[in-house]
Amino acid sequence: MDILVVLEDNRGSLHRMSKEAIAGAQKMGGSISALAIGVNADAMAGELSGVDLTEVITINHDLVSSYNADGYSDVVSQVIKSESPQTIVIGHSYQTRDFMPRVSAKLDIPFIPDIISMDDGIVKQVLNAKLNALVTTSADQVILSFQSATFSEEAMVTGSCLARSIEVNLDSSIVRSEAEDPFQEDAGDVDLESAELIVSIGRGIEKEENISMAFDLAKVLGAEVSASRPVVDSGWVESFRQVGSSGQTVAPKLYFSLGISGAIQHVVGIKGSKNILAINKDPDAPIFEIADYAVVGDLLDIIPKLIEALQTEKDL
Amino acid sequence: MIEREVLELDVLFVGAGPASLAGAVHLQRLLRESGQNASVGVLEKAGEVGAHSLSGAIVDPRALRELFPDKNDQDFPFEAEVSEEHLYYLTETRKIPFPFIPPSMNHHGCYVASLGKLTRWLGEACEKDGVDIFCGFAGTELLYDGDQVIGVRTGDRGIDKKGVQKQHFEPGADIHAKVVVLGEGTRGSLTKILLQRHNLMDERNPQVWAVGVKELWQMPAGIVQPGYVAHTMGFPLGHDIFGGAFLYGMKNDIWNLGLVVGLDYKNPGVDSHHELQNLKTHPWIRSLIEGGKMVAYGAKSLPEGGWYSIPKLSISGAMLIGDSAGFMNGQRLKGIHLAMKSGMLAAETISKALAENNFTESKLGDYEDRMKSSWIRDELWKVRNFHQGFDHGLFGGLTNAGIGLLTGGRGWGFKNRLTSEAGHLQLEKGLKKDRYKDLKFDGTYLFDKVTDVYHSATAHEEDQVPHLHVNEPDICITKCAEEYDNPCKNFCPANVFEMVPDGENQRLQINFSNCVHCKTCDIMDPYQIIDWVPPEGGDGPTWINL
Repeated sequence: MDILVVLEDNRGSLHRMSKEAIAGAQKMGGSISALAIGVNADAMAGELSGVDLTEVITINHDLVSSYNADGYSDVVSQVIKSESPQTIVIGHSYQTRDFMPRVSAKLDIPFIPDIISMDDGIVKQVLNAKLNALVTTSADQVILSFQSATFSEEAMVTGSCLARSIEVNLDSSIVRSEAEDPFQEDAGDVDLESAELIVSIGRGIEKEENISMAFDLAKVLGAEVSASRPVVDSGWVESFRQVGSSGQTVAPKLYFSLGISGAIQHVVGIKGSKNILAINKDPDAPIFEIADYAVVGDLLDIIPKLIEALQTEKDL
Repeated sequence: MIEREVLELDVLFVGAGPASLAGAVHLQRLLRESGQNASVGVLEKAGEVGAHSLSGAIVDPRALRELFPDKNDQDFPFEAEVSEEHLYYLTETRKIPFPFIPPSMNHHGCYVASLGKLTRWLGEACEKDGVDIFCGFAGTELLYDGDQVIGVRTGDRGIDKKGVQKQHFEPGADIHAKVVVLGEGTRGSLTKILLQRHNLMDERNPQVWAVGVKELWQMPAGIVQPGYVAHTMGFPLGHDIFGGAFLYGMKNDIWNLGLVVGLDYKNPGVDSHHELQNLKTHPWIRSLIEGGKMVAYGAKSLPEGGWYSIPKLSISGAMLIGDSAGFMNGQRLKGIHLAMKSGMLAAETISKALAENNFTESKLGDYEDRMKSSWIRDELWKVRNFHQGFDHGLFGGLTNAGIGLLTGGRGWGFKNRLTSEAGHLQLEKGLKKDRYKDLKFDGTYLFDKVTDVYHSATAHEEDQVPHLHVNEPDICITKCAEEYDNPCKNFCPANVFEMVPDGENQRLQINFSNCVHCKTCDIMDPYQIIDWVPPEGGDGPTWINL
């Protein structure tokens, strides 16, 4: 086995970033196995039955029926030891950040996290995304995690694969925590880092009353809502929605920027976006330097019409 | 009642700058030599020593040589010895060399240095010597027993923007010490309280400040000559604003380009950051940075008042050193050696006070006597009227300084002491000429303020009470808007203050997370209603090489 892709269960189905990780692994080439853990392992394997992989390994053990860091790091370590993949790849999600460093430390395998490109070697951002660093490793094995949208899930090569269930020995004493049922609360239902579509609000929204307009747009698009610092600072949206150097880093397929000027502090948080659409009154706003689609105009006029048009489209 | 941890020390320095660190090293040595045992600590609000240190800097090695008699200059963390020096008068397009460099501005035998590197090096020396440096803890309150200072309280952590305790709330600690030495740097927040409470500026000239803004430029190899030094007057400030530019060659192909702007200008529209951008439109400066990349930005105020603005230095239980006491030679553009020396002199007094277990005002007053018979006095006395002369513009200031050279520092050749007014009182009301209407930020050589701020790598926990207390915010939207058009928008080199539309009116938006801790707002606000207090410990710029 050349590559092991560790999959993530997103409430019964495969996490988008896991599909992207598979696409990335396929691009790297070699024999690829995927690892599905938990009560939904078979369902995830089923989702991949039409994908070009050597196999999907499934593990369903009581102690890892749902995610917990102790169990996952032990199970993943066991599989790495027994299967000896050269490269372990995974999406750079919250879950990955929680357990993968433990695997790395436990097995003494270097972990290169949050990679943004594999085109010319391993590239990751450093110093607040000010620089890109080319990283190399001389170790025999390496763990890589990909930032959201580094690869496209559509790029997954179709084919066939087998499913193989394996047993693991897990000592209940190592699992020190037990997950309750997943629930949604506060930041819990806003996963900006893996969001595919984001509507982001800047100071151009002018008033708190206008915020709902952005949420309406997000709703019809099926997008998450984020904001720049001044909007959060004014208390108009929750602080977990802040994007930029003092907030979150996002990489959606489309970043819909509403009235954001594009100061560098904000831009470092959205650099990874595949497409940026910006609406701003000021034609000289720096956001237009990085926008793929630029609309110069008053968002307060444009958004209602846009919502209406999208709604009509949807209803058809 | 919040229960606080109490830490007992013998001596506490507040602020890990050159004054405190030199003082702590010297004190440890004196204690060793006299067979005393005492605990010495240093509080530092930055996450690491040096991260909030910024200076030009050209360092006179005198104090370092005294502090480390066994070392050579080559052992000190300098960039390079001054190898070539120039003094120019700039017009908008030309540069005119001064016919000669006055001896007081001669930097021969001095070294181009990064204060951040120097303080890191001194910090290591301290730790090797057994001094405890507490990084990431700001002193926010002086603790008293009657009129005697008995310690410092550090800032609470984990309070949200409404002032409510968050889940991870952690109360500050009370650090008790027999002597508290305030080496907070320029316009220290505890220093400000101490000066007022004990009237330590009585009979002194009010302190006057300047603000220095600077950028580091990474140049292609072979352009920068380490040790190259140029100072300029004239453009972009003109004749009515005190100050000038500096350009120093550092190691590793880095230009250190900066501008000092006196905080006693008249036009409320003056913006030190914009002046620095204007400076780079000068063809000579522009040619020097051609092909380079701006890699770091910072700003810091500096005390320019000189000898007559030095406060009374000791009270019971507390002393003032370094920039907190105004030890800066405005004419030589140097203060690091004076700061270090002041810390060392304070250490000599403290060592004696510890031996006698006497920390009264009269005992600690010994420090002021030592200062007055040291070379600090010799150096500052000669230039005691330097800054005051510039109240009469550039040529007035230069004339006064020139005559001063011949008369041992007398004002205009005859007056022993020239008085001065606080800088913020110089601001004139009414709309003034927009100095920056032709300034266009190109993103390559000229940068808008927030882009520069990004390069100061400053960061603050966003969910905390803004550490810039505006005591009467109504003044901002009424009186100040009318009289001065809110100069905070301009004098802050980090875009902390903004007036934003609020319905029909405007409101003050405080972007405190941009703050680079220069203290200019606290100094220059015309109504003196801004109080700069430390944010959560560890917050602020992350300067490495400034």
